[in-house]
Amino acid sequence: MSRDGWRKKASDEDGWGGRGGYMAAKVYKLEEQFQKDAPREKQKEGMSSSIFSGVAIYVNGYTDPSADELRRLMMLHGGQYHVYYSRSKTTHIVATNLPNSKIQELRGEKVVRPEWITDSIKAGRVLPYHQYQLYAKQKGLSFPSVSRQNQEGAARSTPLCNPRPSCGNSSTQIHPENHGPVSRKNKDFVLTNGHDHAVNGALKPVEVSRLRTSSPQGFIPVQNSDGRRRLEPPASSSLQTTIHSPNHTGRIWMNGSNHSAGPSHNPSNHSGKPTACGPDAGIISEFFTHSRLHHISTWRNEFSEYVNSLQSRRQATGGAVFCGKDKLKKLLASRVSAVSSMPAPQVRQSCILHVDMDCFFVSVGIREKAHLKGKPVAVTSNRGPGRVAQRPGANPQMEFEYYQQKRNQYRTAKRDCDLEMTPSPEDIEIREQNRRVDQDLASLSMAEIASCSYEARQAGVRNGMFFGQAKQLCPELQAVPYDFQAYKEVATTMYETLASYTHNIEALSCDEALVDATSLLAELGAAPDELASAIRADVKEKTGCSASVGMGSNILLARMATRRAKPEGQYLLRPEEVDDFIRDQPVTSLPGVGRSMSSKLAALGVATCGDLQQVSMVRLQKEFGPRTGQTLFRFCRGLDDRPVRSEKERKSVSAEMNYNIRFTKEAEKFLTNLSMEVQKRLQTAGLKGRRVTLKVMMRKPGAPMEPAKYGGHGICDNVARTSALAQPTDRWEQIAQEATKLFHAMKLEVTDMRGVGLQVQQLEGLHTTPQDSRRHIRDLLLARRQARPTNPSQVELHPLYYCKMIQNDVLRYESDMNQEVLGRYLINYVFSIVAYCTCQVDHSVLDALPAELREQVEKSWIRRGHLPNDVPCPSTPSRAPSSLIASEPQPAGTLVLQIPNQHGPMGSTGIVLELPDFSQPMEEDILQVVKYCTELVEDKDLEKLDLVIKYMKRLMQQSVESVWSMAFDFILDNVQVVVQQAYGSTLKVT
Amino acid sequence: MATLTRQDLNFGQVVADILCEFLEVAIHLILYVREVYPSGIFQKRKKYNVPVQMSCHPELNQYIQDTLHCVKPLIEKNEAEKVVVVIMDKEHHPVERFVFEISQPPLLSISSDTLLSHVEQLLRAVILKISVCDAVLDNNPPGCTFTVLVYTREAATRNMEKIQVIKDFPWIVADEQEVHMQGSRLIPLKTMTSDIVKMQLYVEERAQKAS
Repeated sequence: MSRDGWRKKASDEDGWGGRGGYMAAKVYKLEEQFQKDAPREKQKEGMSSSIFSGVAIYVNGYTDPSADELRRLMMLHGGQYHVYYSRSKTTHIVATNLPNSKIQELRGEKVVRPEWITDSIKAGRVLPYHQYQLYAKQKGLSFPSVSRQNQEGAARSTPLCNPRPSCGNSSTQIHPENHGPVSRKNKDFVLTNGHDHAVNGALKPVEVSRLRTSSPQGFIPVQNSDGRRRLEPPASSSLQTTIHSPNHTGRIWMNGSNHSAGPSHNPSNHSGKPTACGPDAGIISEFFTHSRLHHISTWRNEFSEYVNSLQSRRQATGGAVFCGKDKLKKLLASRVSAVSSMPAPQVRQSCILHVDMDCFFVSVGIREKAHLKGKPVAVTSNRGPGRVAQRPGANPQMEFEYYQQKRNQYRTAKRDCDLEMTPSPEDIEIREQNRRVDQDLASLSMAEIASCSYEARQAGVRNGMFFGQAKQLCPELQAVPYDFQAYKEVATTMYETLASYTHNIEALSCDEALVDATSLLAELGAAPDELASAIRADVKEKTGCSASVGMGSNILLARMATRRAKPEGQYLLRPEEVDDFIRDQPVTSLPGVGRSMSSKLAALGVATCGDLQQVSMVRLQKEFGPRTGQTLFRFCRGLDDRPVRSEKERKSVSAEMNYNIRFTKEAEKFLTNLSMEVQKRLQTAGLKGRRVTLKVMMRKPGAPMEPAKYGGHGICDNVARTSALAQPTDRWEQIAQEATKLFHAMKLEVTDMRGVGLQVQQLEGLHTTPQDSRRHIRDLLLARRQARPTNPSQVELHPLYYCKMIQNDVLRYESDMNQEVLGRYLINYVFSIVAYCTCQVDHSVLDALPAELREQVEKSWIRRGHLPNDVPCPSTPSRAPSSLIASEPQPAGTLVLQIPNQHGPMGSTGIVLELPDFSQPMEEDILQVVKYCTELVEDKDLEKLDLVIKYMKRLMQQSVESVWSMAFDFILDNVQVVVQQAYGSTLKVT
Repeated sequence: MATLTRQDLNFGQVVADILCEFLEVAIHLILYVREVYPSGIFQKRKKYNVPVQMSCHPELNQYIQDTLHCVKPLIEKNEAEKVVVVIMDKEHHPVERFVFEISQPPLLSISSDTLLSHVEQLLRAVILKISVCDAVLDNNPPGCTFTVLVYTREAATRNMEKIQVIKDFPWIVADEQEVHMQGSRLIPLKTMTSDIVKMQLYVEERAQKAS
C-alpha cells in the first residue's frame, strides 16, 4: 500500500519511509474507524442499504456534497471511504475538479463526480459510473443528464432506461471491454442530433440484432432512441448510430439518421438505414452519404457536370434541340404577326439571367402539401415543439454570447440567400427578440432551419436560425422534413428547363443558375423580360415551384436584380438604372464581401456601394490587397467582367467533417479514413493533386466541452497546414501519410478536435502530361528533332545551347530530384543530343558537361564503335529516348526553338541575325534560372547560390557569344536585387 | 524513431548547447583569422577534429563566454535569428560582419544515432570555411575591434531585459552605425542543414575597407 505513487513523496519526507510503516498503520486505523462508525451511523439515519458494497471511494478536493457527507453516505450504503488513495483498493475517485497533473496521474482510474453517489442512492442501485466520469477519457462525451433526468423523472422515463436489477452489486466490475451491450441499454453513448428518420418500429429490433451480429468485438454500432424522445410526437423517433472504430483508436460518432441518400452515392445506403458498413472507410463514406450539407454542395458539381455534358453532347450530335427556345420563338412569331409593328430588336448588349428558386427547400417541401401553402413553414430536421433538454457540459449561453459578440463585431447585415449555412441569425430585430428568449435558449432545439417560407420570414424567422428559437418567434411555424429526393428532382427539372433554352448555363448551386442569354436574345430578337417570364412560367409549370429571375448586363448586376425580383418575380436592371440602383445596395450584397470584410469596410465608414464608390482604388488595394481591392472597386460600380462559365475546373478536392468529431486517443485512424474518402473523390473526378492541406477545428480554449448544438463543433479555432508532395497523387496511402505527418507537426490535443478536413490541391488530370519543368528537356529535344537542321553551319550553337539548357535543368532538378534518377534521366538525353551531333561534335559541348556525364557520353561512343567527328548523323539516337520520342508525337512544349530557314537573311553567319529567335526560348530559361536562384535565397542557401552563380559565370563567359554574357548579366542583376532585398547587400562575385 | 519537439525541454537545450559551443569556437577563430587580436594570444586547439585557434586572454574569453551565455536562452527558444560578429575599424564603422543565420525547423526529429556525428561534420565544415575565409576577404585596416550582435525574433528582447541571465551584462539595442554598412558585398561561406538546425554563414564586407 505504501508503495503507491501518491504517497511516496510523503513517506520520504516524514521519516516513516519504511514499508508497512506509519502510513500503513494509519490507513488501517482509519479503515477500522470507518467500519466501527458505519453501523452507528446507519442506526442514526434509520435507513440504509448495501448498494455500494464493494465500492471504495477516495475524495479528492472540494466536492458537493462535502467529503464528510460522502463518507457518511458511504457508511450508510455499504461502501468504503478511503482517506488515503490506494491504487489497489480504491475503486472510484470522487472529484469535481482536478488539476491537470492529477488527471495525468489518474489516467485509467475511475474518476467520478459526486453526483454518481447521490444519484445512485436515489435510484437505489449503483448506477454505471460512465455518465458521471469527470474526464470522459476513452469515452468521448458523457451524457449524464440523460440518465439523471431519468432518475429525477423516473415515472416518465422511457422504457429503455428501466433499472437493471442485475447490475446491482457488480457495477464496479463494468469494464470498458464488456460494456458494449450494456451501454446500449444504458444510453451512455446515445447521440442525439435532432435529425429524424421515420423508422418503422418493427424494424428496429432486427436492425439492432443485425448490427450486433455483424460487429466483431470493438466495433459496436449502437442504435438507440434518444432521451428526447418523450418530448417529441410519438411518430417520430430519432435513430442513432454510434460506431466505434476498430481497436478503439479513434471514435467518431455519426448521425446515421436523417434522410434518404442522394442516388448518386452508394445506392445501398439509399434508405438511410445505418448499414453495418465496412469498418474503415465506411464510417466516413457513411457520414458523407448522410450529410445534408455534403449533398447540397455536391449537387453544384453535379449540375456543373450536367451542363458540361449537355455541351459535349451537343458537340457530339452537332446540334441540340432547344424546345424551350423554339416555343418562345413561336410565341414571339405569333405576336409579331398579330402586332405587325414589332419594335426593333434591342441593341445587342450582353444580358445575364440569374435564375433562383424561391425558398427552394420550402417550396419543394410543400409542393404536395397544399394545406401548408401560405403558412409559415420551415425546413428543418426537428419536428417537435422545438425544445430539448440541456446536456451538461454544454454551455449554450456562452456560445450564444460568443456569437453575439462576433456579430457585433461584424456589422449586421441581412443576407438573403436560400440556404444560409452560418449558424447564427443576424438581424437586429431578431437580436432584440433573442435577448428576450435567451434565458430559454438553453432548452431550445438547435436544429437549424435550412430554409423558411416568406410568411415565416415576415415573422422574423431567418434561414440558419435554430428551430427552437424560430418557434418562439413564430409559434405557428410548421416544420417540414428534408426530402432530398424531391430536391434533386426539382433541381434537375429546373436545369433541364434552362437547358431547353440555351446551354450557356453556369450552375451556382442546386437552386440557382446563371444563364448567358446574350446570343439567345439576339437570335430571337426578344426582350430579356419576355425570356425571363417564359423561363419562369416553364419552371413553374414543370416543377410546381416558383423561380425569380434577375437580369443585368453582367453577373453581378443579375444577382443583385434577383434580390429585388424576389419573391416570385423578375427584375431587369437596365444599364441606365445601374448607378442609382447600386448606390443604395449594402456592401454585403457584393460577392466576396462577408462579415470580416464588411466589418473592415465599416471601419472605413462604408456601408453601401455608394460609400464604397467614394473610396479610391489605391486605398482599397492598400486595405485589401491588389486583387481584392480592384475587384471591390469595380464591383461597387456595377462592373463585373466574369464570364458565365459553363465549364469549371476544379481547384481542389476535399473531404471535411466537423459534426460529431470527438476523438479520445488517436486521430490517425480517422485521417486514414478521410484520406480514403478523398481518394474516392479524386478518382471519381479523375484527378491527382500535389498539395495536401489538413484543416483542423480545435475547441477554443475556454469554450465549453460540449457545444450547444448536439454533436456540433461549438466555438473553434481553425488551424490548417499544407505540404507539397513530390508527385501528384490520388492514393490514400500517400495522402494519409502526409496528413498524419502534418497532424503530428501540429501537436494538437486530440480530445479538443472538433472537425477535420483534408484537401488536395494543385490538381492535374490523370491523362495530362506532368508539369512543365519536368518535361522540359524532353520538349527541348523534341523541338530540336523537329527542327532537324538542314544547314549544318547554322546549328553550330545548338549543342552548346542544349548543354546549357541541360545544366539549367540540372540546377532546377537538383532541388527536387534524386541524384541517381537525375543522372539516368540526363544521360539518356545527352546521348540523344550528342548522337545527333556526332557529325560535327563541338568539343565545347563535352567540355561544358559535368565530368561524369562527359565520361559516360564518351564511353557510349566507344561502345557503339563510333568516334566523334567520323560518324554520319545517325537517324535514331539512343535507346531510351528514341522510344520516348516516338511515343509522344507532338507535345505542347514550353520551348519553341525556331531555327531560321534558308530563306532567312543570307550572307551572314546566321548567329547574329538569329539572336532574336534564340532569345525566345532563352528568355524562359533565364527566368527559370532566376526563379531557382530566388528560391535559393528564400531558402537561405547562399552557399549554393554562390556556387551556381560562379559556375554560370565561368560557363557563360567562356562562350564567345555575347548572348551568354548578356544572359548571365541579366541573371546576375536579378539575383542581386533579390539578395539585396533579403540581406541588405549584394553578392560579391569574383 | 523518437520524434521530439521544441516543447521537449531538453532538446531545445541540446541544440542551444551545440550551437553556443560552436559559436564560441567560431568567434575565436574569426578573431584569429581576421587578425583582430595579435596572433600571440591564440593557442592552437583541436575541436571537431580540426585545428582551431583559441584566445588565451582571460578577459576576452570571459567576454565571449558571457555573450554566448546570454544568447543561449534565445537559441533555446528559437528566438535568435542571427548572431553577428561585427568587426569594426577605429571609427567604429563596421568593415566586416560575419553573420550566422540560424533557423530551427519547427519539428525537431532525431532519426538516428548518427545525428550528432553528422552535425559535427557539418560544423566542422563551417569551421574550416572560416579558417580559410581570408582568401575571399580583403585585409582589414589596422586597429579593428569587434562586437557581437544578436538579431532576435519579435519581442524576444523585452523578455531578455526581464530575465537577465548574467547580472552586469546587459544587452543594448545596437547603434545604427554598427549595423549598417555602406555598399557592402555579400560573401556566402557555408550553409549547413541538419535535422536540428539550419544555419548559414556569410560575410558582409565593406567595399572600401581602407577608408
